Amino acid sequence: MAVLTVRDLSKTFNVGTPRASRVLDNISFEVQGQTFVSIVGPSGCGKSTLLNIISGVEEHTSGDISLKSDQGGDARMGYVFQDPRLLPWRSVMKNMMYVQDELNEETTARARRYLDMVGLAKNADFFPGQLSGGMQQRVGIARAFAVEPDLLLMDEPFSHLDAITARGLRAQLQDIWAQSKKTVVFVTHDVVEAVELSDRIIVLQPGGRIYEDITIDLPRPRRQSDPTVATLQAEVLARLEKMKAATQVAAPVA
Amino acid sequence: MSTVIENRRRSTTEIAESTPEWKRRLTSDTAARLTAGISFFLFWLVVAAVFTRVPGPVEVVQRLGDEFARGEVFGNFGVTLYRFGVGVALATVFGIVIGVMMGLSKLSRAFFESPVLVGLSIPAIIWSFLTVMWFGFGDTSPIVTTFLTAVPFVIINVAQGVRGVSRDLRDMSSTYQVPLLRRMRDLVLPAVTGYVAAGIRFAVIIGWNGVLLAEWFGGSGGVGYRARFWYDANRYGGFAAWVVLFVGFIVILDRLVLDRAISRAFRWRDNSA
Ligand SMILES: Nc1ncnc2c1ncn2[C@@H]1O[C@H](COP(=O)(O)OP(=O)(O)OP(=O)(O)O)[C@@H](O)[C@H]1O
Ligand SMILES: [Mg+2]
Repeated sequence: MAVLTVRDLSKTFNVGTPRASRVLDNISFEVQGQTFVSIVGPSGCGKSTLLNIISGVEEHTSGDISLKSDQGGDARMGYVFQDPRLLPWRSVMKNMMYVQDELNEETTARARRYLDMVGLAKNADFFPGQLSGGMQQRVGIARAFAVEPDLLLMDEPFSHLDAITARGLRAQLQDIWAQSKKTVVFVTHDVVEAVELSDRIIVLQPGGRIYEDITIDLPRPRRQSDPTVATLQAEVLARLEKMKAATQVAAPVA
Repeated sequence: MSTVIENRRRSTTEIAESTPEWKRRLTSDTAARLTAGISFFLFWLVVAAVFTRVPGPVEVVQRLGDEFARGEVFGNFGVTLYRFGVGVALATVFGIVIGVMMGLSKLSRAFFESPVLVGLSIPAIIWSFLTVMWFGFGDTSPIVTTFLTAVPFVIINVAQGVRGVSRDLRDMSSTYQVPLLRRMRDLVLPAVTGYVAAGIRFAVIIGWNGVLLAEWFGGSGGVGYRARFWYDANRYGGFAAWVVLFVGFIVILDRLVLDRAISRAFRWRDNSA
């Protein structure tokens, strides 16, 4: 598990040039322990940018961010990117092993297990170019699980998959999260998915501010068919509609 | 009942079945290569027939036969090949090391950029004069000339390849804290394989100028030395025989070895297993 603290975080791309654009604006939140947080918001509101800053591949312009393992020391991270990001010249299995910190029988077995979980055990020796887009995305998911991270970042991991595969993987994700001690930050634009999975939903509005920070207090495992889940989903959706109306007045489309 | 479909496109099977065998052969890549070879050969025949000072193919083959009979071929060819091989190997190793450095660090790019550009613009003939002055006769000057002529081409190719390594994949590697050595082996090197191969190919094709010129001026045996021997004796057939021999060797090396190695390195690009 990880302790993630974000305080007054802002991000401006191309600082000091005419093309400067503020993407994240004074974001603050804290996540720790076995928490599942979703970040939802319309396309372009800065969700991927926020994950990139948390992961360290993007620098922030101002504010504070800190990340550590709850055991002390650096947090081990797994990141399911919005695109698969596999090495095209290495087989699926070699891609899985590329990110392991140690190469031994245990990690190999673990990589196989997670590959099996996403239904790709038979494709271990394929090159990524020989897989469909959704299959590649599933390798990316298996890769992130297989490092058994303290902090798992996921950027719309299921959005390119068919409904049934996605539902299966969502169930797997809930199981894994419940069993292994992980902090998850999950980006999605699918409110239904967010309510099903999360303890907490952070809603970003266009311009990159936090519009709302909603706690989802429902027992697990949650079922789509459960009426209380459905009710809450409808409620959160209604709040998002309200936000959309409000921000459209505040920031009219030029 | 048959319906007419407008703008119907034909399937690959249908196209293959409806094209006659002879037509498929005539429009193949092999046919194009053969045509190029035959045209060149005919052109040579015509030029040799018109200009008496240009030796024709028959004469060249005869002279080559004479050289074999004199026992000059294997010794000289072997010497040249050794020098050429060492020069190209050195150029490849140094080219990859400096190229990777230039691709990864801005500082070394700033440092090496101008020397490499200068190196690119210096022709093999200048290097051969200089190295014969510096090292005298022997193996050193042809080796160093080959190296100096070829290495800038390897460097710029590799540097370009390294700079082109996908930012997304580098970001992925750093979030997973992949160790540097593994990143080199599994990310950087495969990404630059094509550029390294192109660089080595350039080294081979450019480098042979260097080795022949240095031997021409160095006078310590080898293909270039022998070609000059016949040239100085006003016997253009013998001169041409040696040039044809070496160029032929380079072309075959490129086709049989380099070309195949390159397509092996790019196996992952094939869509079928
Ligand atoms: N490298 C960059 N340079 C300049 N602007 C960028 C850069 N990366 C992202 N942006 C801008 O930042 C904004 C947010 O992008 P981001 O990818 O974080 O959106 P998102 O919320 O993930 O959207 P989506 O749901 O469509 O994936 C966009 O307006 C985008 O144009
Ligand atoms: Mg995004």
